[in-house]
Amino acid sequence: MPVRAMTWAAVVLAAVAACVGSGTPSSTPTPADPSTSAPQATAPPATASQATPIPPTVGPPVGRLAAEGGDPVSGQLGTYVWRDAGSDSPWLPGAPVTVGAGEPLTVSFDPAIGVASWRARLVPADADAPVGATLLGQGVGDPAFQAPEAGSWTVEVHVVFDAGDASYFWRLEVT
Amino acid sequence: MMRSLRQRRHRLGALLPGLIASIAIALPALAHSPDPSLSGSLFGQDQQLRFRWRSGAEPPSALKTAIRAAADDSNATRASRAATFVYDTAGTNNIGYGTGTCGVNGIGCFTRTAPTSFTMWLREHGRPFDWGTLRWCQMQAEPTNGCYDAETIALDEFGHVEILNHHVNYADESDYTDAVVQTFSRTRPKTGWNMHTYGVCDTATLQVKYDVPTLSSPYSRCLDLTTIVTLGVNDSSIAFGASVDFGSLLRVATNSSYERLSANPLGKRTVRLQRRAIGSTTWTNFYTLPSSTPTGTYRATLRLFETADFRTAFSAPTTEGLRGDTSAIIRVTVAPCTSNCPDPLTAQ
Repeated sequence: MPVRAMTWAAVVLAAVAACVGSGTPSSTPTPADPSTSAPQATAPPATASQATPIPPTVGPPVGRLAAEGGDPVSGQLGTYVWRDAGSDSPWLPGAPVTVGAGEPLTVSFDPAIGVASWRARLVPADADAPVGATLLGQGVGDPAFQAPEAGSWTVEVHVVFDAGDASYFWRLEVT
Repeated sequence: MMRSLRQRRHRLGALLPGLIASIAIALPALAHSPDPSLSGSLFGQDQQLRFRWRSGAEPPSALKTAIRAAADDSNATRASRAATFVYDTAGTNNIGYGTGTCGVNGIGCFTRTAPTSFTMWLREHGRPFDWGTLRWCQMQAEPTNGCYDAETIALDEFGHVEILNHHVNYADESDYTDAVVQTFSRTRPKTGWNMHTYGVCDTATLQVKYDVPTLSSPYSRCLDLTTIVTLGVNDSSIAFGASVDFGSLLRVATNSSYERLSANPLGKRTVRLQRRAIGSTTWTNFYTLPSSTPTGTYRATLRLFETADFRTAFSAPTTEGLRGDTSAIIRVTVAPCTSNCPDPLTAQ
C-alpha cells in the first residue's frame, strides 16, 4: 500500500466567540456635603521624618444633582477608577437632598467632561448595599432621571467617563 | 486463524468506546462576564513586583500580616502569568496606611504605573466616615459583624494593580463571589466578605491579559472561548486491516478579543475520534485520542476493517470556559478483504 505523507487538515470554523416627570419645581436641596469633594492627595499620618512623598492624584469630577429650579447638590464620591488609579469605598448613604415625587433630576459634572454612559439605581435609605436596587434610568450623556415615590432613598449614579468610572451618591428625601 | 483472531479482538476493542459514549453538547459558560480591565499598560508576564511598607505610614502589624497574605493569595490564585507580589524591605513599591490617595470615602486604594511600579493604601482602623467607622477585622481581638477583612480588601487592590476593574454583578448579586475585585466590598458576615482567592471572573481577565501558565492549564469558567479541533490522517485509502495514523490539533480560535489566549494550543484535554458507518447518520465515539505532546496534538494509530467516516470531537468541559467543537469529516476507504477474512458477523 502506498504511504502518503501525513497532511493535517486545518479547518477553521471561526465563530465567536429617564423619564420626564411633571413634579413641581419646589425642591429644597440642602447644601453640599463637605465630604463630597474630588479626591486629593493628602499626607499620611506623619510618624517618621523620612516619609515617602505621595504623588498627586487627579480623580473623577464632582457630580452635582439638581432638580428643576433648585440649587445643585454635590454627591458623595464613592468607588472609582481613574486612569491608573482608583479607590474602593463602601456603599455610601449619600448627600442629602429633598425633592418632589416624580420630579425630573439631572446630574452635571465639574469640570464638565464627556459621559460615555450612566446608570442610576436606588435602594431604601437604610440599606447598606445595592442588593435588590431598583433601576431609575440609564443612558448616555449627562444623567437625567425621575425622582421616585415619596420616601427616603439612596440613589447611586454610576458614570463611565473616558478616563474611568465613578459612583456618586445622594440621599433623596422625596416628599 | 491467529491473524483473524487478532484482527477481530483489535477491532472489537476499538469499537467498544463508541458503543458506550455519546456526543456531548456544548454548554454555555456557567459564570458572569470577566472583569472589565483598566485602560493602562500591563506589567510583564510573571514580573515580580517587590513591595515594602511606606516610610512614615507603615501599617500596624496585623494589617501587614493581612497584606502579605493577600500578596500570597494573588500569587497562588492568579491562574495566569500575571505579575507576582513579594514583600521585600528593599522593594520599590510602597504600601501605606492612612489616607494616601484614597480620597474622602475610600477604605483602600491603588495607583499603578506599569510596568514600573505601584502603590497601595489601606485606611486607618477606627476612622469615622459618613457611613460609619472603619473597622478592620484583623485589628479586633474578636472580629465583630460589620468589620472589613483587610486581606480581602488588599487582594482587591492587588487585582487592580494587575489590570482589573470592578466586576459587573448580576442585579441580584448572585454572582458576587465570581470576583473579589468588587465595586462594593462586603463586611463580615455577608457572603464573600472574606474571599482569599481571586474569583473566576477575576482570573478570566488575568488570563486574557497575561495568558495561562501552560498549555494544559484550565481556562476560567467565566470565559466562553470558541475552540477549533482539526483532524488529519496519513492515508485515507488503505488495505483491509491496515493501520491509519489519526492526528488532531486542538486550540483556541483566533480572535483578537481573546488577546493572549487567541490561537493557544490546548493540551491534556479529551479529544475523541468519532466514527460514522457508511449510510448511517449517527456518530459514535470510537476512540479517545491521547494527548501525546503539550502542544495540543492528539494522535493514535488504529487498524481499520471497513470504510467509514471519521471526525474528532472536543466536548465543552464543565470545569472550563471552553466551547466544544468538531472537526471536518474524513472518509477512510478500506479495501475489501481478499484472504483469511474474519467472519462478517463477528467482525462487526
